[in-house]
Amino acid sequence: MSDRKLENTLSPIYPKIKRITALISKFIQFIILGVLIWMYSYFDWPTWIYWVLIGLIVLNVFMTIWSIFEPHYYYRSWSYQFDEEYLQLSYGIFQKEWVTVPMTKIQSVTTTQGPIMKRYQIRSISVETVGSSHVIPALEEEVAFSLREKLAEFAKLKEVGE
Amino acid sequence: MMRYHPLTMLYRLFHLLKNSLFIIIILFVVNHDSDMWMMKYGRYIFIVVIIMMIFNIIVSWFVEKYEWKEKVFYIHKGIFVKETSTIPFSRIQNITRKTEIFHKIFGLTSLTFETAMDGLDDSIHFKVITKKHADELIDLIKVEKDIVSENDETNELNDGEMIEQVNTKNTKLTKERTLHFTPRQKDLWKASFTSLSFLAIIPIIAGGFEYVQPFLEDRYELEGVVQTFLDSSWIIGVVITFAVIISVCFGIATTFIRYGKYEISSDTTHIYIERGVLNESYFSIEKNKIQGLEIQQTVLKRLFGLAEVKIISSAKAGEEDGKVNVNSLYPFLPLQEAYELIEEILPNYQIHDQLEKLPRVALFLKLIRPSWFWLLATVALIYFKPSFLFLSWWALSLILLFIIVINRVLDYFHTRYILEGDQVQWWKGGLTSRMFITKRKNVVEMSYSQSRLQKRFQVSSVTTINRSTPIHMETIQDIPLPYALSIQDWYYKRSEDVEVI
Repeated sequence: MSDRKLENTLSPIYPKIKRITALISKFIQFIILGVLIWMYSYFDWPTWIYWVLIGLIVLNVFMTIWSIFEPHYYYRSWSYQFDEEYLQLSYGIFQKEWVTVPMTKIQSVTTTQGPIMKRYQIRSISVETVGSSHVIPALEEEVAFSLREKLAEFAKLKEVGE
Repeated sequence: MMRYHPLTMLYRLFHLLKNSLFIIIILFVVNHDSDMWMMKYGRYIFIVVIIMMIFNIIVSWFVEKYEWKEKVFYIHKGIFVKETSTIPFSRIQNITRKTEIFHKIFGLTSLTFETAMDGLDDSIHFKVITKKHADELIDLIKVEKDIVSENDETNELNDGEMIEQVNTKNTKLTKERTLHFTPRQKDLWKASFTSLSFLAIIPIIAGGFEYVQPFLEDRYELEGVVQTFLDSSWIIGVVITFAVIISVCFGIATTFIRYGKYEISSDTTHIYIERGVLNESYFSIEKNKIQGLEIQQTVLKRLFGLAEVKIISSAKAGEEDGKVNVNSLYPFLPLQEAYELIEEILPNYQIHDQLEKLPRVALFLKLIRPSWFWLLATVALIYFKPSFLFLSWWALSLILLFIIVINRVLDYFHTRYILEGDQVQWWKGGLTSRMFITKRKNVVEMSYSQSRLQKRFQVSSVTTINRSTPIHMETIQDIPLPYALSIQDWYYKRSEDVEVI
């Protein structure tokens, strides 16, 4: 019962994109750490900095391995659905979240696209509400646009007394 | 267009003086013949800044104006860049009227209209205003607002005469206020002990001393004085006794001054709070702007059976009035009276005291959940090895762990919840426990979540978000999954309560 799925899923390309972005950022982090290690030996920094850096490198290695597997599980955990009244989102690997947002409380809808997402024609949608903001991380372009239009249309309604 | 009361200038000068008094003492009294560069140039800079501020106060009185046309306020300000803000009466959420000692001397008062707009400068301040004009403005807004809301309701009648009749009747009705609460002597005595405000004097003294110290050039001498003090233990004893006596008296006096005169009343549409002996203030809030309610009990208050009732609304909480939060109804209400007060003031809220308890597994879960705070604190303790009260790091770590465990066990016993009609109510919290109650239509977002651990035991956490500034988020942990799902289903029926336009 607690595993109830919502109607729609993310774009199946999502894990691939996520993996690419994660690997790029991890690569940059490794370069920065390498530079820091070099600076440590060059400038004669105190020893504890060395241990901190080694710790960070070890941590980063594990994170890199995890970032190869994580997108798959995260993709499987994600689902969403919407009707005239509510937008529902469900996601999370270790901590599963089910969010319900009334359409009348949505304030703005934004789609964004980074360079890698552009290559695969994927967009993410972020929904700003009175109380918070939520991001649907990856949808095919046409799905994203139609969702954006629909959300904007449903969100036009306002409640009495606001 | 109208200018503000001319004494606004004097009031702002008075505040400028009050706020810079400490700097003046440092620059011109304590260090008046010091040649330190900081002091020397500080004096010049200070004088220039003060002159500019005085100039600003005078000029802004001439340029700041206000007016109202057809239920809308227009506020004009700005010396170089002209600025006009437009605030419709219907946006005004609550009215605060404060009479400080300054106002009392001249027989005047101050008035603030707070709004719920998302802009930056969204409230109207009349820092100094005659009592008569304040009354006029309050009446103006209330009458106009009543007409607006009445018009909304009687729109379908489309009958001018009919509306007028309803209006006059309605304005009469709103005048009839019922008094709900005013503190008794006994409550105040209890309050002055639970508030612990008498302890406030200690940090004030210590803080003051530390703050002043670097500016005193002959600090070594001063430390010498402190040292001789500490050497003779009986002097310390006497000093401490005196300090305690003074601070207790101070605490009782502040409680009586702050909460002595206090009146909570209401009519059909508004709640009114009038309070204060020296600084009088008047606060009113529209009932349908209330998003939810909160009752808070600290350990001490629980021992005395008292509680604080707070209103959750989108009004800014205690923006300029740091001492008493405007959103607090009264901080020292006997619990049962607090319930009754809420039901009297807001008849659509029903408070239950028979609530559902958490399942036994929740206690187990609360205890085995790792405490990151404790882990980090312990690591820090091992690393820094502080000597606090002659206790070693592991003893401090154990004490911390003990407090955390107590807090969690108490949280298990305090957590209670119920869902009824369009209302959700729950208690939670360890040492300080809190009750939260709200209506479905005021919940702007809802979510529930489940960690792996919670999933094993078929429990989950529920979070609600209510409008407030900043948003009010409430989470109740480890309630059984079926109940969480029923809350979710309950929330899907939200459309029953709201009207969409």
